Amino acid sequence: MNERVKQFYIEFSEITNDLQKFCFITRSQEFQLEACNTAQELQEKAGKLKQQMISEDDEDAANAMLSIEEMITALLSELRMWIALKGEDADAAWSQLVSAQYAARTAMQAHMVASHLDGYTNHLHDLERVLFPPLAFFSPSYIIEHSTCSICGQEYGECDHIVGKAYMGQICTRVIEKVKEITEVSLVDEAANKRARITKITDDNGIWRDIMTWQVVPNDAANA
Amino acid sequence: MSIQTAEYIDVQQRAVELGCNVPTKLAFLPINFEEAKINDDLVFEDSVLTLRKLWRKAGIAETRIEKEGKQISYEQKKSLDVILPTVFISFSLLSQNPTLVTLALSIISNYVTDFFKGMIGERKIMIDIVVEQDEEKKSKRIRYEGNAEGLTTLAQVIKELKDL
Repeated sequence: MNERVKQFYIEFSEITNDLQKFCFITRSQEFQLEACNTAQELQEKAGKLKQQMISEDDEDAANAMLSIEEMITALLSELRMWIALKGEDADAAWSQLVSAQYAARTAMQAHMVASHLDGYTNHLHDLERVLFPPLAFFSPSYIIEHSTCSICGQEYGECDHIVGKAYMGQICTRVIEKVKEITEVSLVDEAANKRARITKITDDNGIWRDIMTWQVVPNDAANA
Repeated sequence: MSIQTAEYIDVQQRAVELGCNVPTKLAFLPINFEEAKINDDLVFEDSVLTLRKLWRKAGIAETRIEKEGKQISYEQKKSLDVILPTVFISFSLLSQNPTLVTLALSIISNYVTDFFKGMIGERKIMIDIVVEQDEEKKSKRIRYEGNAEGLTTLAQVIKELKDL
């Protein structure tokens, strides 16, 4: 691995190991906010080093830095989740947890430097089950007519880039340009997109409730 | 893990009926290959695009059943399970180069392993493999549901089908 990336990784490990001690609900919010600031500074530094690696055309180093950036994002999102929970903002807490999970997955896809994250992804999964009620998600299926590659901009099927792989510090994604038809929308317990979720339900008495907080919420359909 | 086999239509004849290229070795078949009324109705599983790239990179030649320049549609399901496309394996390929079949399947298996990287829990994959059993174009469909590792066991099932 590139020497500067190796040095940064040591700094990253020391700082993030220390910041993890604030990833508990009992920790003071004051310290958690400080920890967020520290993580953000580290993230900016990681971004700059990644750009340097890109300018030096060192793809392995650029991908390693992308992976490190994503690990920092995961930690930062987890810290924000704890802060949101203490602020009784359950929706924001869920959103931050999902961000942490996606960032951890991207880190593992981007480079071997994050190959040890299995334990952390399990930890995030455990938090999901313990901290939040069971949720239901929407899972759409659609027919795509035209999509392009996020790396080179060509028609996705025509280039050699693979979705989910890292190329010079960037994860390849498929940009859907034209959807021909939405074929179905299913309700599922586990979805690819955990943000596409049911937010309120009716209880046994027909009263609308926020699925996270169980607070009574207005029936938008009746008010429309 | 579940593996089920069933009779399948004559792939070559169906390709001709739909105005498609006739597959001679390996091919991906559209989701609605059996029931589509016209060529324009054909839809592929979304992962075909990526799997084609991976096969191409590994030097595995496939017959693209869509005609050159034909716009094809792809169905994407936003689910955590992976639904893979139907793979057609011709009798001649199975007889002459079974190693290539094993390689093609292992590339699909690796693709799934990479797809699940960083995800928690057992994820299910589904794939249909259509095997041409003889020169009379009689075909069987193998339907696999299980984990990524189990995919490699399909090579043996395919071989046994050919030897029936």
